[in-house]
Amino acid sequence: MGFLVDAERCIGCHACEMACKNEYQSEPNVRWRKVYPINETEYSLPERNHLSLACNHCEKPECLRVCPVRAYTKREDGIVIHDQGRCIGCKMCAMACPYEVPQYNVRLKKMEKCNLCDGRLDQGLKTACEAACPVEALSVIDFNGFTKYGFVIALPGFPDPSITKPTTRFIKPRIGAQVRRDQ
Amino acid sequence: MKEISRRSFLKGTAATGAALGLSGSFYNFLFSGLEPAQASDETGIQKFQNACPRNCYDTCSILSTVENGILTKVEGNPQNTFTRGRLCAKGYTYTRRVYSPDRIKYPMRQNGRGSGNWERISWDEAYTLIAKNILKIKKEYGSTLPICLNKYSGNFDIMHYGIEGMLSSFGNTSRATGTPCWPAGIDSQTFDMGTIVNNDPEDLVNSKYLILWGVNPAWTSVHSMYFVQEAQRRGCKIVAIDPVLTQTASKADLYLQIKPSTDGALALGMARYILDHNLIDAKWLMNNALGYNEFFDYLKNNITTDWAAEKTGLPKNVIETLAREYATAKPANIWIGYGMQRHANGGQNVRAIDALAAITGNIGKSGGGAQYAHLETWGFNYHAMVQNKPAGSAGSGDRAININNFGAEVLAAKEPPIKMLWIACRNPMSQDPETSVVKKAFEAMDFVVTADQFFNPSVAMSDIVLPVTTIFETWGVNVSYWHYWLCLNQQAIKPMYESKNDIQIAMELSKKMNELEPGSCTFPTSGDLKDWVGKEFNTGIYNQFGISDWKELEKGPVKTKAGHVAWQDGKFRTSSGKYEIWSEEAKKFGHLPLPVYREELKPANEYPYRCISPHWKLNIHSQFQNLDWMQAINNAPFIEIHPETAQKMGIQEKDNVKMYNDLGYIVLPAKITETVAQDIVVVYEAWYKDKNFNVNYTVKALPADMGKKATGMPGMAFHDNFVNIAKV
Ligand code: SF4
Ligand code: SF4
Ligand code: SF4
Ligand code: SF4
Repeated sequence: MGFLVDAERCIGCHACEMACKNEYQSEPNVRWRKVYPINETEYSLPERNHLSLACNHCEKPECLRVCPVRAYTKREDGIVIHDQGRCIGCKMCAMACPYEVPQYNVRLKKMEKCNLCDGRLDQGLKTACEAACPVEALSVIDFNGFTKYGFVIALPGFPDPSITKPTTRFIKPRIGAQVRRDQ
Repeated sequence: MKEISRRSFLKGTAATGAALGLSGSFYNFLFSGLEPAQASDETGIQKFQNACPRNCYDTCSILSTVENGILTKVEGNPQNTFTRGRLCAKGYTYTRRVYSPDRIKYPMRQNGRGSGNWERISWDEAYTLIAKNILKIKKEYGSTLPICLNKYSGNFDIMHYGIEGMLSSFGNTSRATGTPCWPAGIDSQTFDMGTIVNNDPEDLVNSKYLILWGVNPAWTSVHSMYFVQEAQRRGCKIVAIDPVLTQTASKADLYLQIKPSTDGALALGMARYILDHNLIDAKWLMNNALGYNEFFDYLKNNITTDWAAEKTGLPKNVIETLAREYATAKPANIWIGYGMQRHANGGQNVRAIDALAAITGNIGKSGGGAQYAHLETWGFNYHAMVQNKPAGSAGSGDRAININNFGAEVLAAKEPPIKMLWIACRNPMSQDPETSVVKKAFEAMDFVVTADQFFNPSVAMSDIVLPVTTIFETWGVNVSYWHYWLCLNQQAIKPMYESKNDIQIAMELSKKMNELEPGSCTFPTSGDLKDWVGKEFNTGIYNQFGISDWKELEKGPVKTKAGHVAWQDGKFRTSSGKYEIWSEEAKKFGHLPLPVYREELKPANEYPYRCISPHWKLNIHSQFQNLDWMQAINNAPFIEIHPETAQKMGIQEKDNVKMYNDLGYIVLPAKITETVAQDIVVVYEAWYKDKNFNVNYTVKALPADMGKKATGMPGMAFHDNFVNIAKV
């Protein structure tokens, strides 16, 4: 179970990120989802492309491994849950996660992160971010049963997936033709 | 895509439920100094219909959730098939706007304009001060013409036109007239077709070829972008023409980096090719258009694709291929943006593009057309706006002050001079050109009143600030200048602090004025805001939307029943009833009757770079970028510079760069990117809280060629701003 991020559709608009904050009324500096620009030099032509990332609900979650109080659990469906009730705010998980996912809530002195909208999913709703994306660039897939080809496990800027085996999958941006005056 | 099994989720819920939301809702409100009890006496969860009234194509239908009187969440209303149950990044910040600790909470008086020395006053004190000033001016000058209103697009709710009504109700006044946004293009289409009408944007999916010309919907109309991409998936080729490689251009099949302000040359070059290769729709022209033979003569005698190539910087073969593809794909569509008409030749350029759509017979077709905007659904009563002036009001009518040269015209106004400003739904100190002149105008006043929600630079230059409600705290009704939906805005929560709706302010001010001088103000002194909404409706609107009572809108937004393809009936609203490629009306307004090329402005030696200052994705003008959720994503303006230019000027990434011309300067960090051309820099216009950044310090009040016919004043050539840059 994880996110499919279609970087061809994504317009970097931050609606997903803001819809997440709206859903959970997060603290200003706590960002469960972040939209990152892909460096324009990564592709054959400069273009504005983005990665919309939240917790990758990894197969081998480092956050879970290092947490001294077992605040992290991995559900049978793959969702990595952080239980703020158990969290002591030691930030070990933040140091261990290669994706800068766990966020420190200064006021509560605890960590928090995307729990894949487990409450919404359990009610049969889409995640708040997926429901908000104006161009349907985000979706949640059960990637074990996912047969569509054409997705990749990383795009430029995404840290090495070999350590924690993220479940996030990507569709590459198509690079359009450009006629430029600087050529 | 495989459907997700929901069963697997049900396990493990209990463990997590408690943690969820802990970071959430109610803590933040406490920090804003609000006690929940103060917010409302209501209990339980309620849903309300709201509408986003910002100056934005999308005018979203919002469903808001209120828990125990507190707005806890906003969502897109799925009933609206254009916004499709989604908002944008700005829309999703609305709770932070409502509960922002930065909101203006009470009426306040500033002791010394610009001093920051504010003191809280009561509403009664505020009304007394304002009413006395108005009456004093009237006595001293014999009329209320020294009072000038500057109100525009901060809130496009129909009831908000009651602000204009308030000014009318105490006499003849001076009015900021025109619009900075889009007037040149409006005039162009008015000359060509009689007015502006666009196809329903949901119809974009029917296009076989789509040129996005100087428009960036990925940032300014995210919901349209779905239909653009859907068209693309169905095989439509998407071409983006823009001097900047925008987010939209990044998603196009083909991007053409045109030299700024030469769009008309490209359109005319294409037209010449289309004519030479007999790709015109002669039958359509014969039945629907006037002046096409004169236009063709002009093309044959004056235009070549070689010339167009030289003008636009695009190779001749590219122009020819573009022309052939556009003329042979049926239907082919062009979306003309507001950016490309913010030039000294912008209106003329739009006319040339319109002509392309006309000669290929694409006007009046589903999937075709020359899309700009529409006002087809705006036929309200303007009950709040239309107010009688008091009997015996001096002066022969309101006095127009050019909104696009506001500072200078306020200072220059004589007989009588302007002495008082009322600012509402606007922030001229941030958004107008020639900020320093605008500031002088504010300084020259005897009295400045601003109604707003945040302490922006215009508020800082006011004597009195009045706190106004957000959309969730009041009633309203909204339509779009792009899509064809109608949406009610219900009051969802009690007004925060002492904020009031602008109409409420007008009613109470009227009461005070009549107390001090009976008969001095005709504005109603009492009334229910919900009833005011109802008074905006008429049978025309009801028929257009297929409803019989406006209260039906409490169930959700509705869409017009017909008219989703502009000009399908071929009944143009020009005086001839035809599409007028030759426009006598244009001539009357001092333009050439044909869409001929008007030379673009070019940089001078001293100021070799053109600064383009488009919209930024996290704001609309001076709204939203000041909110903490936005600040967490970005809280600093920057200047985009081409790598070669940066190298030449010794500038590296993040270096501070001074951008200057004879008008002023700004200093901001460099972002080096090939999304701009070597001769262009880009600075996104915005108001950042507590930052002395304003790109308009460098922007001259240079008029666009058109706008006067439809909006009373020419537009603003925001993108003809020539500057130099230096590393500091
Ligand atoms: S909402 Fe969609 S398009 Fe916008 S940034 Fe997120 S994933 Fe990308
Ligand atoms: S992305 Fe980071 S926080 Fe999320 S499961 Fe993987 S290691 Fe843990
Ligand atoms: S799945 Fe839910 S919690 Fe996770 S990023 Fe999306 S909206 Fe936020
Ligand atoms: S700003 Fe525009 S797109 Fe965003 S919520 Fe408002 S109307 Fe919708």
